[in-house]
Parts: sequence; structure tokens; C-alpha cells
Amino acid sequence: MSEVRFRNPGWAGNTGEFDLSEADVRGTEYVGERVLDGGHPSVSPSLPYMFVEKDPDAPLFEGPYRERFDKIRSRYPTARAALLPALNLAQELRGHISPETMDEVAGLLGLSDAYVRGVATFYTMYNKRPVGRFLIQVCTNISCNLCGADEVLEAFLEHTGTELGQTSSDGNFTVVEAECLAACGFPTCVQINSRYFEDVSADDVPAVLDRLKREVNRGF
Amino acid sequence: MANNGRKAETVTLTIDGQEVTVPRGTSLLHAAESIGTEVPHYCYHPGLSAPAQCRICLVEVEGAPKLQPSCVTMAADGQVVHTDSPAAKRMRQGVLEFYLVNHPLDCPICDMSGECKLQDYVFDEGREQGRGREPKRVFGRDDFGGDVLYYGDRCVMCTRCVRFMDEVARDSRLTVVERGSRAVIDTFFDRGLDGAAFAGNVVDICPVGALVSKDFLHKARAWDLDHTPSICPNCSHGCNIELHTRDNLVQRLKPRENQEVNGHWMCDYGRANYEWLNRPGRLEAPAVGRGSDRRAADWREALELLFARLQAAEGDVALVGSATCSNEALAGLAALGEEVPGGAAGRVFRSPRAPDEVPLPGFPLLVRRRDLVPNSDGAGLLGFERAGNDDGQGGLEDVAEHGGVVIVLGDELADQGEDFGANASLFVYLGTFDSAAARNADFVLPITTFAEEEGTFVNAQGRVQRFQQGLRPPESARPAWLVLGALVAAFRGEKTPDSAPEAFARLAAAHPAFEGLTWEAVGDGGAALVAEAAHG
Repeated sequence: MSEVRFRNPGWAGNTGEFDLSEADVRGTEYVGERVLDGGHPSVSPSLPYMFVEKDPDAPLFEGPYRERFDKIRSRYPTARAALLPALNLAQELRGHISPETMDEVAGLLGLSDAYVRGVATFYTMYNKRPVGRFLIQVCTNISCNLCGADEVLEAFLEHTGTELGQTSSDGNFTVVEAECLAACGFPTCVQINSRYFEDVSADDVPAVLDRLKREVNRGF
Repeated sequence: MANNGRKAETVTLTIDGQEVTVPRGTSLLHAAESIGTEVPHYCYHPGLSAPAQCRICLVEVEGAPKLQPSCVTMAADGQVVHTDSPAAKRMRQGVLEFYLVNHPLDCPICDMSGECKLQDYVFDEGREQGRGREPKRVFGRDDFGGDVLYYGDRCVMCTRCVRFMDEVARDSRLTVVERGSRAVIDTFFDRGLDGAAFAGNVVDICPVGALVSKDFLHKARAWDLDHTPSICPNCSHGCNIELHTRDNLVQRLKPRENQEVNGHWMCDYGRANYEWLNRPGRLEAPAVGRGSDRRAADWREALELLFARLQAAEGDVALVGSATCSNEALAGLAALGEEVPGGAAGRVFRSPRAPDEVPLPGFPLLVRRRDLVPNSDGAGLLGFERAGNDDGQGGLEDVAEHGGVVIVLGDELADQGEDFGANASLFVYLGTFDSAAARNADFVLPITTFAEEEGTFVNAQGRVQRFQQGLRPPESARPAWLVLGALVAAFRGEKTPDSAPEAFARLAAAHPAFEGLTWEAVGDGGAALVAEAAHG
């Protein structure tokens, strides 16, 4: 397996010359020992960001999550305004926003269930069904498309053995198309969970997947 | 113009070269309307908020850098507005072309065809040929529950329905799901609109054929329907409605705007209950004689016989009215009771009554009332007392055995036995359907329903409201005010009232509660009774 050379891969600061982990770059405060209560109200909706254990049946919300939910609610003048971060929190916990989750969040915020459904379906970053450990979003918008995004997408589907939008049998990968990821200077851009992989070509795909699998084995 | 630092109450602007003065705070759309110019619009509805999202009411305002949405742009002094300039027309044509990108153009099978705003606007100003070469996306249809069916492909995403449920029904069950070309109107998955008491209004306000009535589905074409201003007969609130009729049958009821009564709305209960107006098997011709002696008679003979019998009648008169009858009919019945020599024994009516009221939260004037008849208040004002239970049954035990004269108007007596009126010296039955309890009637006289005559009701607000004739009555049926008016006139030696307005004038003269009201004053929008008379 050839070592892939990422010209501008991963998170900021990772040049490909070092095998840095996310923790090395972002610090351990939010990786491993994440601030489950979300810290200060001003950041509680957005932290910790992604890699927490997903439990589709996790209660909404208990313990530190309850604390964060209350903080979220306290930051906004109306329940409607608090809906997006509340849905973020629910997705962080459960991995996706199911109809039941929409209903529960609506109940918690005192909003109508239909309204919550409207909001949740408007935004593509809410997963409306379960996704794999890694959500691979391949940009197929114009810049990436001109630089072979279709082939990259095809390669991801082939090497993960899934259909578009489906989850691989090992539960690791879900591959979806994305509209512009705002990285038009580095096509093709692929967003995998919260990380950007830029300048990805179809040939790079096996190495990217290997790297992700290594992370799974390491426990992220 | 000196205004002493105070803003004038009105503003004067120019629309399409015509100077127009409107109150401050009037939108350009309404200002244009006041000079007879309709600016096309979808998302704007006078009973709802204006999000200005449909982009088809854009007009050119001189000096403004872009076209302005006329539904939310307020008229200002000195504005020069062009609704029909090349820029405005080009814009509308472009917007309409976008609306048609995914529209199925299934007008031949669409219920809205003929009253569809998309059809109208495209016909007026759209391109002659579409330029789309892409396949159209297809959603199919979705049953929202209640009486509402949704065709996603026809939808123009004006969100009137969503805002109606949010702002007026205050029951936010509808939303826009997904976005872009995938956007549809939907409820929370399969939760639907069941149980929402006012959801049928979303069908009325849908400017296209996206939300249609299941009851009306494929029943009639819009251009075949006659529209008759009327009053909803299904509760005592008396929502102003239109009867939409075809082939002498009521096809549907639609609300008619009246800001004093029902705004733009009506409830689903009222809307759904019209089939009784189409019920076949009506009484066709007058008949005289009890039981096996009964024979058909023409009106002149029947009324002459009846008048003679009334003059010679023994005993006092028990009157049974009905709160589905007009004021004119009930007043005629009351007057007749006074003319008959024996004098009146009592006046009663029976009516079904719901356990509770159903208000419309966003338009609190509108309430589905407990009394499920249109004229219980009118009947009360004319001296009739409500009898029987909340199913509209019972309460006639005394009348059934009454030994004097019994006159029944409009009450079908469905719960009464064949011996009803057996002891009566004279039993007159004026109704729309034959009844087992009418077996002992000496006279069976066919009358018209409210949909087949002109007249007035008094609603629960104490408001007199007029309805017009929308259906042709069965051949020999006559309005009750005419039948009773002829008898009263015969007693009094005066002329028979020759029209509903004349009958109303006589009623207004005879009953203090109606004092000062004229047919013209009641008009299409109704008129309030003088408060102390109505409740005193």
C-alpha cells in the first residue's frame, strides 16, 4: 500500500509530513477528555464537536447533556432560535435525527413537531437516518466536478462496498454527495466527519480509507 | 403643503399614471387594488402575514434600485409606481417560467382549473412556449387527513397554508419539508391534519391546485359552478358563505369574507355538512286530509280550505317552529298564531346542540357555536322557546297530545310517533319531507329550504344576515313566508307579501327587536340588531 501524499489534507496544520493525530493538533481538552458539559454557554452548542459515542437510544437529555441543553436554551431569546444547537446536541448524542428525535426535541423546546421536521430536513448536516462511523461527503459541485469528483465518489463507493447514502456492512462508512464545501481551491474536496481531505484523486481513496480504518483500530 | 410637523393621514401617489390617495400604511398592492389594478400575488393573503417570498407581486417604483414587492412596500407620498412597465412584465414572465419548471400542467384533471392563479397569470403574462428540456420532478400526492389532499407537483410554495395553521388556527401542523426543488408541504410524517377543526381553509387559500378537497375531488369543474351568497346553516354563528351549485345540487360551501363575522374563514364542520340540502324525496305538492283521506290539492284550494278551517278552529294554537327556518317564516308563523281565534298556546322549536364551542384562536370572532342550527337566536327573538334535548329530540309531549290547533313548520318530527297530533282539532304540517308523524295532518304543505329561498337569519352575535336563493325548489314547494304570509294577510284583509324583502319589512314592523332594520341596510354583509332590544 503506497503512502498517500496529502498536499493539504486533514485539519489545519497537518501537512502530511507528520503523522499527527487530531488530539495532537487540537489538544486533548476536547479529544478524549471532552468537556461534556459544554463549558461556557457561548460555546456549549458547538463543543465537543464530533467523536463521542453514538447511541441511537440515548435519552434526551440527561446529566451533562441536560446541562448543555439548558445552557443552549439560556443563550437564545426564543425556543425557535435554540432549535439548531439543540438538534446539534441530539445528533451528537444519537448520531442522527430520527422522527422520534424531532418529536422529542419539539417537546423539549415547546415547538410544533412539524416545524422541527421542517428545520431538520432543511439542513443537510442533520443526518435524517443512521450513518456509519465515518460520514464521507464528496463534493461534486462544479470545481471538484471538473477535477474528477465523479471518479472520486465512484472510488469511495467501490472501496467501501456501499451504495450512495448506505452504510457499509462493518458500520464504518457512509458515502454521500455534498454540494460545495467551500474548498474550491483544492478539488476534489472530501469531508469526513469534521475533517477536510483536499486534492483527493480517485487513486488516493484506498489510502484514505486505510487511514480511517487505522483510526478505528486505535479507537480514534 | 404645510403639515405642521405632523404626518398626514393619507398619502398620494401615482400608479400606472393614475393619481391615487390612500391611508398611510396601505401597501402598494392594496393601493393598486383601489384603482382596479390587480397585482399578481401568491404568498400574500389579506388574512395572513406577508413574507414577500413568491416574488410575483414585484412592481417598479421610480427611484428604487430594484423592483419592489408590492405586498409589503408601503405607499408613500409622491411615489411613482408602474405595475405594467416592461421591467415589471419581464420580471413576472421570468418568475412564472420558474414556477412552471416543475409544474405538471395537469390542468385538465386538476380541481383548481378555472380558478387557479397560476393558470390565470400564465395565461395573461406567461411565455407562449416553455423552454424547459429537463424532466420534471414528480412527487405524486399525499393524503393529509381531514378533507385535505396535497399534490406536491402543483405547489408554488407560497406557504399560505403553513401560515394559516401557524397564525390563524394556531396549530402548527404544516411545514415546508426539505428545500430547493425537493421542498414539499407536509405534516409531521403521518400525523396529518385529522382533528384540526379549521384545516379545510387551507384548501380555500391555496392559490393553485396543490391543496384540494377530498370531498370535492373530481366532482365539478369550477366554471360550471354557480356561486350564491348565503349563510352557513350548520351553527348559529352564521358564517358568510357561498353555495357552489351545479345541476341544482350544492357541490360545496366556501367562505365569503365578512370581517365582522368570519373573516375569510369557516370551520370544517360547517363546510362538510351540505348534503342534507341535496336530499331527494322532497314533498312535492300540497295535500289535504288525514290518513287514508289524504288527497293532493293545488295551492289555491289547499290555502282556501285551510283558511276556512283556521277561522273555525277550536282551541288554542300550539306552534312548532324550526331554527333552520328564516326569520320571515318564523315571524309569519308567530303572526298566524295570533290571528287564529283560539289564541296561541305556545311557541317552541327544537335544535341539536354540541357539547362545546370550537373557537378559531387567530380570529377570535369566529366560533363554531353550540347551537348547530342557523337561526336559534332569531327564533328566540320571535318568541319561540327551545324545547327538547341536545339531539334535537323530545320536548313535544304536550304538543303531540294538544287538543286545539297544531301548526308545525320545518320540524320533520323524526322522533315522533304516528299518533302525533291525533287529538288536534286541526293539524297543519309545513315541511320539506314527509314524516310518519305527519300522518294525522289535515294539511301537508311543501315548503322550500333556506337554499331555495331568500331570507334572513339572526346569528349568535345578534346580527341579521341575508341569504339568497341558490337552488330551484321542487315544483310546488313555496317559501314558508309566502304560505304563512298569505294566510295572515287573509285574516287581516291585507295584501299577501310578494317578496322576501316585503316579508322582512312586515317582520321588522311587528317585532321591536328588529326595529329600524331594512332589507337594504342588512345588505350582503348583515347588520347588527340594536343591542338592548336583542338582549332585553
